Amino acid sequence: MVAVLRWIVFAVAAFAMNFPVIVTLVTSFKSARELSSNPGLTVSAPTLANYASVLAETERFNIYNYLLNSLVASLLGTGIAIVLTLPAAYAVARSEVGQRLLLPLVINLRALPLVIFAIPLYMMYQWLGLLDTRLGLGLILAIVNIPLALVILVNAVNDISPELDEAAMMDGASPLRVMFSIVRPVIRPALVTTFIFGFITAWNEFLFGLMLTTANAVPTTVGASFFFAASGGGVQWGTASAVMILGALPPALLGLIMYRQISGSMTAGALKG
Amino acid sequence: MAILGKTHGRLFLSPLAAFLLLFLGFPALVNLVYSVSTVSFETLRSPTLSGFGNYLTVVRDGEFWRAFGFSLRFGLLTALAECLLGLFLAVFLAPLLSKRPILLAPLMLPLMVAPAMVGLMYRLVLHEFAGPVPYYLFEWFGDSPAFLDPQTAFWTLAVVEVLQWTPFAFLLFYAAYLAIPDALREAAALDGAGAWKILRFIELPLMMPTLVIAFFIRFIDGFRVFDNIYALTGAGAGGSTTSLSMFIYQAFFKEGAIGKAVAASVILFIASLLFLMSLNRLARLRRR
Amino acid sequence: MKRTKITLALAALLASAALPAQAKVTVLGWPGGSEETALRAAVEAYNKAPDTSENDKVELLFFNREGFYDKLQADMAAGSDAFDANLVATYSIGRYAPYMEPVDLGPDAAKVFGDTVLKTMQFDGKQYGVPTDLSLHFMYYRKDLIDALMRDDEAKAKYKEIAKAELGKDLEPKDPDSWTWDDWAATTLYFSKGVNRSSPVRYGTVLQMKNLLFNMMVFQSLPRSYGGDWTDASGAVTVDSPAYRTGLELYKKLYDAGASPRDSLSYEYAETNAAFASGQAATALQWNAAAADLTSAEKSPTVADVTGIVAPPAGPNGRADHIHGLGLGINKNGKNKEGAAKFLRWLATEDAALLYARNGGSPALTPEVVAKVAKERPDLVKLGEFAGKYGYVMTGATSANALSVYELQAKEFTGYWSGQQDLDTALSKTKSGMQDLLKK
Repeated sequence: MVAVLRWIVFAVAAFAMNFPVIVTLVTSFKSARELSSNPGLTVSAPTLANYASVLAETERFNIYNYLLNSLVASLLGTGIAIVLTLPAAYAVARSEVGQRLLLPLVINLRALPLVIFAIPLYMMYQWLGLLDTRLGLGLILAIVNIPLALVILVNAVNDISPELDEAAMMDGASPLRVMFSIVRPVIRPALVTTFIFGFITAWNEFLFGLMLTTANAVPTTVGASFFFAASGGGVQWGTASAVMILGALPPALLGLIMYRQISGSMTAGALKG
Repeated sequence: MAILGKTHGRLFLSPLAAFLLLFLGFPALVNLVYSVSTVSFETLRSPTLSGFGNYLTVVRDGEFWRAFGFSLRFGLLTALAECLLGLFLAVFLAPLLSKRPILLAPLMLPLMVAPAMVGLMYRLVLHEFAGPVPYYLFEWFGDSPAFLDPQTAFWTLAVVEVLQWTPFAFLLFYAAYLAIPDALREAAALDGAGAWKILRFIELPLMMPTLVIAFFIRFIDGFRVFDNIYALTGAGAGGSTTSLSMFIYQAFFKEGAIGKAVAASVILFIASLLFLMSLNRLARLRRR
Repeated sequence: MKRTKITLALAALLASAALPAQAKVTVLGWPGGSEETALRAAVEAYNKAPDTSENDKVELLFFNREGFYDKLQADMAAGSDAFDANLVATYSIGRYAPYMEPVDLGPDAAKVFGDTVLKTMQFDGKQYGVPTDLSLHFMYYRKDLIDALMRDDEAKAKYKEIAKAELGKDLEPKDPDSWTWDDWAATTLYFSKGVNRSSPVRYGTVLQMKNLLFNMMVFQSLPRSYGGDWTDASGAVTVDSPAYRTGLELYKKLYDAGASPRDSLSYEYAETNAAFASGQAATALQWNAAAADLTSAEKSPTVADVTGIVAPPAGPNGRADHIHGLGLGINKNGKNKEGAAKFLRWLATEDAALLYARNGGSPALTPEVVAKVAKERPDLVKLGEFAGKYGYVMTGATSANALSVYELQAKEFTGYWSGQQDLDTALSKTKSGMQDLLKK
């Protein structure tokens, strides 16, 4: 009885939360003609024309390039954020420095509309030659990711019993070694979570992608509207949907691969008790 | 008491601090100068210092406080709804999900789609003539309400936000829930505690840190909501759905009032910094 | 070992950031839609021309359309040299002129476009760009519905009754081409289920009332035809005139009466198109760019055959139609400004303009020139005709802060339409804001 109820709750939740995704998916298979005559969730004459037009227009706008730009910049943005944040999180959790000022200062970055940094950053990037490069975009995405990464990782280290690293240090291991060989494996679930959220956030970032790239390093979110803008402010919904689905595939695949990691590492986490 | 000495602590913090200083130090400095200057897009490189006029303008601006109120309401409401729903789903669905972990995938999917694009899609979803929601409402009930007029826009935006971000809270809670050792539950069950009691006295307390953090993150994100509002209502009739991010964005780009936009951000930054620091102090006092 | 490989691969990816073939003249255009198609065709022809030297070949660049102007603003203010020529519009020319250079289009330009249209690309008396596309508004209406109304005496009586009850005026159904705004209002009320239960469609019109600057351009032809303007000749702001009051009140009346969809306060271009194309709206005041979609049997099967197009209705001062030009001008910080100027001069020649028109662009051309493409592009004839007869630009609408004025109006006017502030408050706030913005 309860089991049936669980299934029902699951189905309702999955449907409601995924509703825009479902609509997008359905719309991506509709022709322009059907779009204006059939608003429902059924497709009477499915077509692949929307996808074909996105994938075929490589000479005009290269979606493969956008996807690659997004991939590189997002990996950089997530990687840099984790590498920098892990030692900082360890320090915040295990020493007496950092909690008072650095932690709130960094978390605060998430509360700020980062658009105010757009102009000074633009000028700085111009000077450094980082405008319109994947590296430049990746570095900014790292800044976007750092606050959340720090919160999750500090929380994770705090959850480990201090005796664990204390014992290791008694045995003469250096703090760096303790962090890397003892703490890191234990908080692996948190690291994976941070990576997933970080990658998704970076992948979906729009504002800095818009401001700091022009031609070479344009990410998918920014490149997307090249495909579906129609004259006079119109939107080609079919093409827009196809672009969105294609753009969501990489993070979705990552999520699928990682869900094993998550559930696997959760059991690992359970052992630590 | 601390495992890491101060020297080591500083050493471990330094890469992050150096990186942030390198990348945000200069922009932050420029912004601070802008906030006390008369500056426009034409005079980006030669702002004229003009004192604290920008700050006064912001503090006296009724729109600023209205936007602040909107953000606060929106952030609290959506964070609360997301956490409650996420917690319910995590706890209630745990037996199902732990047996079939693949079911996690559809619950994670909404996070994968770019928020800016979701906002665009909702323009279609809610459209009276081309959107599926009004279509089925007309089909089944013969009528469809206004979704984005001044009375309902707040709630529509909140529902959109909650549907989009409940998975985030859910994932954090589910991880925390699974991390609770089964031994604890079994012991409690042996002592005769029912499912409800186990939840109330064992699981919830253990999940509390995660709950607090999830609420906190979701609150911040709800507070600075931008994408959906930009796409769906464009700040709303008469500015009725202006969040603080929207306010700053509009001041910055639409009005070209860079000084005002930056001053508003500095106020926001200092206010939330003070709030966070006092929260931190409180937490540490309690720990002692 | 594996890690090194990953690092190497990453480094390779970073280094391979595809460099464009060394562009000689980079032109930033308006992405998507017919403007882009036409510009591509023009550039192709220009690059193929024998007298285009290798150093002056044009390469095109496009930004995302979402946030286009914010990005352009950042680029230009910071002195970007990523492009040599860039897009300008009548309403933003004052904002970007400081970062641009005037361009001499040669003596023939006036013969091709006419002075009115060239003016849409002028600031402080200097020519800043070639007017490539012109935008104005059409009144789209359902021929079948209006015809049925005109044939049916019972319907006519009902129409009169509604006009009297709702507008307090004695009106009879008329041909759309001779509509006054009152006739249009009565027609929209007649065709709205909220007013007239037996209406064959749900709404009489689709108003674009989202808090968005472009919607103010659609709206302002109504007050304009009652004699409204932003300022008078002396520069005093006149937005609180009876003309603006009449226009604002009419919009509110129609929205409140249910003559326009309930979510109109979040509608813009795309929403209006979708509503009209669904066949559930009798009229729509909408940009000329929509004509292609709304009359295409492929894209709008429901209404394509029955969509009629006329100029906006008349007020006491006759008809008025907002016009603005999109065009290309020279970036002050560009690397090859001379090459850009050459391309723009070519674009302003008759041959180039005709080529642009034949490939889907919407240039406003003088009657002699447009006659040469009349067969392929009958809509351009209408465009040129309406622009010449009814086109106007509000006083001050090319100034440095014109965009901000539209933003301000959008916020205050939508605030009134939604019932959050009364008309006097909205107008006095708009007036004082406009006084600040138009001071310089």
